[in-house]
Amino acid sequence: MGKEVRKQPIIICRCRDVTLEDVEKVLNEGIEDIESLKRILGIGMGPCQGRTCIPLLISILSRRLKKSPEELLIPKVRAPIVPLPISLLLKSNEAREGGDYEKS
Amino acid sequence: MRRAKVVIIGSGISGLFTAYSLLRRGIKDIVIIEKGYLGSGSTGRCASGIRASFTSREHIVLMRHSIKLWIKYSSSDLGKYGLYYDQGGYVWIASKDETLKMFNELIKLHNSLGVPTRIIDNSELKQKVPSITTKNIVGAMFDPMAGKSSPFDTVHALYNFLKNAKVKIMLYTEVKRIVGNEPNVVGVETTDKFVEADVVVITAGSESYNLLKRLGVNVPIKNMPRHALITEAYREIFKPLVIDWDTPGVPYIVQTKDGGFYIARDIEEEPELSLYSQRIDFMAKAVKPLVRFFPWLRNIRVLRYWIGYYVTTPDHHPIYGPVPGYENLYIATGFSGHGYMMGPVTGEVIAEWIIYGKPSIHEAKRLTLDRFRKGELIRETAIVG
Repeated sequence: MGKEVRKQPIIICRCRDVTLEDVEKVLNEGIEDIESLKRILGIGMGPCQGRTCIPLLISILSRRLKKSPEELLIPKVRAPIVPLPISLLLKSNEAREGGDYEKS
Repeated sequence: MRRAKVVIIGSGISGLFTAYSLLRRGIKDIVIIEKGYLGSGSTGRCASGIRASFTSREHIVLMRHSIKLWIKYSSSDLGKYGLYYDQGGYVWIASKDETLKMFNELIKLHNSLGVPTRIIDNSELKQKVPSITTKNIVGAMFDPMAGKSSPFDTVHALYNFLKNAKVKIMLYTEVKRIVGNEPNVVGVETTDKFVEADVVVITAGSESYNLLKRLGVNVPIKNMPRHALITEAYREIFKPLVIDWDTPGVPYIVQTKDGGFYIARDIEEEPELSLYSQRIDFMAKAVKPLVRFFPWLRNIRVLRYWIGYYVTTPDHHPIYGPVPGYENLYIATGFSGHGYMMGPVTGEVIAEWIIYGKPSIHEAKRLTLDRFRKGELIRETAIVG
């Protein structure tokens, strides 16, 4: 049954179209930490910032490395928590105070 | 205990390319020790821009050589592993006429050293950067030799190449100290083992300071925080890296291979700020000036913001070569913001120092750590700004 499923790609990261096969290819190169996998594959670097894919990746790694999910280092979370429209940033106080470009 | 011919501390761009250049000269028994993940220092945080259009002879000559290597490597073995060089150029846009005059002076220097920069008018600028609004622009300087690549793809390609050539790369392993007394080091001590080595190379970015301090050697480097953000991905809108020269803090924008727009600008900053500080004010300050030239930026979203260090020396040039007092200890750090682009030439220079006792590029010989003690700092040929 597993083989049947694998005829279609299994998507791990929907933002960046990363499949389970892509993940396994890099794992087989000996790269098994989340920070490296994230950067090499782009997993967790799309608009969802890893909300869907990082838990899936942790589950894959946990089984492969026989470690509990708690033992795996989770990537650093970067600001902003949700994607911010630039039009919104332009209305902020920071844009008024420090975004000045006329002075030089 | 392990033994190796060469131990390299740090798996950023400089350490990986040093291993690559040593391998190409027949040195096989190499161990790379990395305290975090691959490229986890300044390499993975950088803007990925590559250019030779600098203001000192040393930078221009070294980077011209580096670009030749980027092109050569991308079409050779490393290219097969995913390394590439996208020669889309750099564009410096000018809002003032006097800036164009200054660009003309720079172009004379660049051209005399083989870098074909030139002034372009607004219609040519629009061809190169189709979506730009030229209302506030009087012209631009264009560098056709410059380009960009992906730090992640480069590091990944080097990792696979080196691994297949039997180079041992120890990740998440910290070097506690370099062991030895003048004039020889004998190896390095990690958290749990000693690795004996004939030669030790320090390519540990800002950590190079602490490693050498324990040997009583001062490395004059400071961590200057730099900020960057990336937006959502779009189809390719323009190829060059675009620099807004006349705005304080010199904002710039480049579209990565994955489609996101990487935006940076210098903001007022303290040295040694933690990499995990929050300066979310940066986001608004960086995008605001660029919206004048790219009004469509208003409609897209910022995904992520982060800090990286420019590991900076007093004369803003790298430290290359032997560590004074030692016969088998070498260092490459202090790139002051240009370490990624210099990676290929760094590997060559350090490999040549190790094997032949001097680099073949004359300009690299002056970049030793010794120059700070002797007071022989590198001078800018053209002062910009």
